[in-house]
Amino acid sequence: MPVDPIIWYVKLEVYIFLGALAAIIAHRLLTGEINTNYLLYGIQKGGTKYFSPERVQLLLFTLGTAMFYLSNVLQNRSSGVLPDVSNQTLVMLGGSHAIYLVGKAYMMLFKKTGKGD
Amino acid sequence: MLLLLLQTTSTTPQANYIQPWVGNLAAWVALGFLGLIGVAILYNVFTGKIDLSGLISEPNGDASMSRFQLLVFTFVIAASLFLIIASAGPPAFPKEIPNGILVLLGISASSYLVSKSIQTSTPEGLSGRGPQVTIKTDRSETTFNGPTVQCQADVVGLSDTAVTWAIDPINFGTIDDTGKYTPPKSGQATTVTVTATSKEDVSVSDKETIKVS
Repeated sequence: MPVDPIIWYVKLEVYIFLGALAAIIAHRLLTGEINTNYLLYGIQKGGTKYFSPERVQLLLFTLGTAMFYLSNVLQNRSSGVLPDVSNQTLVMLGGSHAIYLVGKAYMMLFKKTGKGD
Repeated sequence: MLLLLLQTTSTTPQANYIQPWVGNLAAWVALGFLGLIGVAILYNVFTGKIDLSGLISEPNGDASMSRFQLLVFTFVIAASLFLIIASAGPPAFPKEIPNGILVLLGISASSYLVSKSIQTSTPEGLSGRGPQVTIKTDRSETTFNGPTVQCQADVVGLSDTAVTWAIDPINFGTIDDTGKYTPPKSGQATTVTVTATSKEDVSVSDKETIKVS
């Protein structure tokens, strides 16, 4: 019995598994069954929540980088080589994460909540 | 792995010593077994037995941006790797993983770890979303005419962190505004209940016990 049908079925199984898992997770994220409450809100020292611009920029950079890379992979998938990520993209992503972490640390560890906040 | 195993077993000299139908049968059995596992996982996820509701949630119940970005990048890189393997002429792993991918995953994972460290280093990061008072004491028991017990109230979720202290039984020692409990000089061994009530929201309080003997 040739090997090719087996390879075809393995590919089919993995495509179906990954595709179904991604679809379920995406659906549940959009309908709220996977909790996304306060995704863009941070917590200040003292426990009060605040709308966090550093989370917004991290979300945008994450989704932008992920979609750009995925489109790159789809265009070059028959090359047999994983596309690399450019140094500029890595620097921007690293900077985005650094802004998020510094902002989070400052608000949670150092900034005191005033009566006007 | 199964794809590569099928490729190599058909070309290695050792394959000459194994009947081809045995190898193919083993491959079909493995394929069927993995398929069943995949179906079981998908079924349990779909019906809720594998609960994904807290997939990107922190211990305090809020959604976590660091978990979300780790999920996104892990899934994208894993899916990309599979696409590249499956789309190649004969399926094959890429000869090398580019350094940029490794750095990207490193940034994502490191950011998650640092974010978790910041989150867990403060009581606000671990508590529930509602306001809370939590009492901590420097000792859980004392003696008559013995050392004082310093109580501390951590208030989370309220702008005013001031609390009112009270003890029960009421006259079994004293407690001041700073939470310092002084045991009585004599009496019967008793467990004293210390209560800290938020001044901003009197419905938010906590209790702790101190044994006096």
